[in-house]
Amino acid sequence: MLDTASQNTPLIQMMDIDKQFGGVHAVQGVSVDLYPGEVVGVLGHNGAGKSCLMRMLSGAMTLSGGQINVNGTTVEFKSPQDAKKYGIETIYQTLALANHLDAAANLFLGRELKTRFGNLDEARMYAETKEALRQLNPNFKNLKDPVSKLSGGQRQVIAIARAIYFQAKVLVMDEPTAALGPSETAMVADLTIRLKNEGIGIFLISHDMHDVFDLCDRVIVMNKGRNVGAFAIGDVNKDDILSLIIKGTLPDDWTPRGQAA
Amino acid sequence: MAANDGKSKLSFLPSGSTLHKISALLTLLLLILAFSFTSPAFLTVNNGLTVLLQTSVIGLLAIGMTMVIITGGIDLSVGSVLALAGVVAGLVIKAGVPVIPAMALGIMAGAACGFVNGLVITKMRITPFVATLGMMMIARGIALQLTGAAPISRLGEAFGTLGNGTFFRVVEMQDNGFPKVIFAGVPYPAVLLIIVAIIGAFLLQKRQIGRHIFSVGSNEEAARLSGVNVDRTKIWAYTASGALAGLSGMVLMSRLVTVQPNEGVMYELDAIAASVIGGASLMGGVGSISGSMIGSFIIGVLRNGLNMAGTSAFIQQIIIGIVVIGAVYIDQFRNKK
Repeated sequence: MLDTASQNTPLIQMMDIDKQFGGVHAVQGVSVDLYPGEVVGVLGHNGAGKSCLMRMLSGAMTLSGGQINVNGTTVEFKSPQDAKKYGIETIYQTLALANHLDAAANLFLGRELKTRFGNLDEARMYAETKEALRQLNPNFKNLKDPVSKLSGGQRQVIAIARAIYFQAKVLVMDEPTAALGPSETAMVADLTIRLKNEGIGIFLISHDMHDVFDLCDRVIVMNKGRNVGAFAIGDVNKDDILSLIIKGTLPDDWTPRGQAA
Repeated sequence: MAANDGKSKLSFLPSGSTLHKISALLTLLLLILAFSFTSPAFLTVNNGLTVLLQTSVIGLLAIGMTMVIITGGIDLSVGSVLALAGVVAGLVIKAGVPVIPAMALGIMAGAACGFVNGLVITKMRITPFVATLGMMMIARGIALQLTGAAPISRLGEAFGTLGNGTFFRVVEMQDNGFPKVIFAGVPYPAVLLIIVAIIGAFLLQKRQIGRHIFSVGSNEEAARLSGVNVDRTKIWAYTASGALAGLSGMVLMSRLVTVQPNEGVMYELDAIAASVIGGASLMGGVGSISGSMIGSFIIGVLRNGLNMAGTSAFIQQIIIGIVVIGAVYIDQFRNKK
């Protein structure tokens, strides 16, 4: 992991990020960075602030304090469009699909393809969607059904396809396999590795320790809005991470596992 | 939720919304058939043209209302905005402005009211029901205040053209010197309604703004996260509704050749009813212009047919109320299975 991580400026630097809702301090002084071709796991129990932190990177929330750098330049995201302009795509936990629209309309929502006259180019959007979905799930049919009629897995596939179709440089995946069966989960894991090898930086929020240890190069653990640990994946084991998630501290006798081995 | 889950946005698909439209169309045909038996004068060319003329005002309102309802909102102000737009046009004509620019100003006044609705809803975060309820009172109040609640008449013949003019009118001079109307002609308002409906359907189905209107009504948060400018989309819809209220104000006042500041009371409810009968869901995300046109004509034909059969205005209200509830009930029923 270190060979890709050290050679250039980080894709994303989130520095000293704060987020307050009224009196609630959801995220306090969290810093994290992400390099091209690396998967960083963002862990923590529900309400630890991990989704909140990622939503600020996606432009879905504004910062109360701190700074985000993309490729070394400071940016200010006022809306999700701003983040997308920098190649930051997000797969939201809620999937963020409009139920009454079909797969193509959802995939291109907000970025519709148009004909010369500015009309919606349905034919091209269907063709592109068909191709994009085929790569993820060869059995994907009912392309023209409203997504409310599709299964959880199919909906998830649309959300993933939308994130990768637009040549993301940074991908935020908020529990991307929550609604998936075993084969689809394996497909998402393969996809994650493929994207990583293409040089895309990935933030992965997950509760599945299996996924985390299989896919991540580094992890950060959040507890009560704070970053309570950032490690290379080889330096920690499952128990260390669970201890951080639950207690917010490492086991007392902890030494970096990577050195011991 | 069952009412709007199974709907597709694309009109050419054999989906729930198409089914709804077909059943609404059947209802319309059944009504026409029934009224043809109760009154021999109902199924005549001239009466057909009258229905077209009478429905055009509600139809124009329903087009804007449908767009607003698809965003998941509602516009209670259109009846009052219609009156205010008429008053603005009437006053500037009295001040010496020619008819066409005066009518344009009236429509712009309507659009301005809609724009304010949009701003109040998106920027002040007031619910559409309350915001447009407020505008309903404000616009009516301004209309009454500006005119002292008195009608503005003697606006000149040109003002009456839009509402009373016709295409293809055939009149034959008889031997006794009196003219005989062979074909009453297609009223301008009917032609206007068809043109606006086609433009509206085109915007909703083929343009980005239409796609965004559906997405905002379907899942506002998803639309925002996908990069849709939700505020701008809503403001657009309410402004369109206001402008169409202004336009229907021009048609109505022109038909009367008088500006009535207390005209159009409760028209918003007819427009909402037309949209809902046509398959629009007040939950948002579902609706179509073609459906709303069918809905408008169901209401128009009901009114006209019941009038011809001598039914009182009170009974008419009862019947239309039952039709609205029935249309939504049948829709829910069908979507449950």
